[in-house]
Amino acid sequence: MDHPEVSTIDRELTVTRVFDAPRELLFRMWTDLQHIAKWWGPQGFTTTSLQMDFRPGGTYRACMRSPEGTLHCRRGVYREIVAPERLVFSFAWEDEDGNPGHQTIVTVSFADLGRKTLLTLHQAIFETVERCDDHRRGWTSCLERFAEYLATADLSGG
Amino acid sequence: MSPDRLSTTLSALADPTRRAILARLAAGEATVTELAEPFAMSLPGISKHLKVLERARLIARGRTAQWRPCRLEAAALKEVADWVERYRRHWEESLDRLDQYLKDVQAAETQGRDPGHE
Repeated sequence: MDHPEVSTIDRELTVTRVFDAPRELLFRMWTDLQHIAKWWGPQGFTTTSLQMDFRPGGTYRACMRSPEGTLHCRRGVYREIVAPERLVFSFAWEDEDGNPGHQTIVTVSFADLGRKTLLTLHQAIFETVERCDDHRRGWTSCLERFAEYLATADLSGG
Repeated sequence: MSPDRLSTTLSALADPTRRAILARLAAGEATVTELAEPFAMSLPGISKHLKVLERARLIARGRTAQWRPCRLEAAALKEVADWVERYRRHWEESLDRLDQYLKDVQAAETQGRDPGHE
């Protein structure tokens, strides 16, 4: 009996990207009210409102309009803010009545590559205390090794 | 796929015991007794979890008199997988836009720089 979809059970999502910018600037892009609205969301989506109480335990709420005109609002709580290296927050879309749906935990890490930054976004679909602790320990050393590797590797043409 | 059905599925999956039950069923059908074995849990305790999984259509239970084996139903899991992939696209596209925005910001800073200053 083959069930490849069962990997969804422990589903976590990881996206990495190297940006041609120092991490202080990149961190500001994620945390500064003026900047976030300029890039957040899929192509064609426009941020229509954004409120942030940017401190550990503070909440945020943002709405964006799709190209079709529908409004999508999201909200969450900041769990960890370690400038300029890590940002952890909860993330839930609101339904049409404004009630938050399933909550996920997003961890964004910024690794220093000199003039560039390795951004790693990790989204835990299901939160368990043990997993968050585990991934954070493993994550830091993994990022450090990767950052070292990239720093010594040839980054021309990037 | 209705948002309500996805919420039901996600709530069902939010419990680590239920996820472990599904992982076990991925290896094949099992009875309630077999499923209860790895956990320090009573049969009524496991049955409660199975009811949640059944309501979310993540498992199906056989009708054979005493036995009623449980088996995994893939369709609901696939919906969750699709939902996770939509999140991935959301992030990838956002990071594409961030990349472009950064370039615009840095280009503007370069142009604004006073050549006499350096």
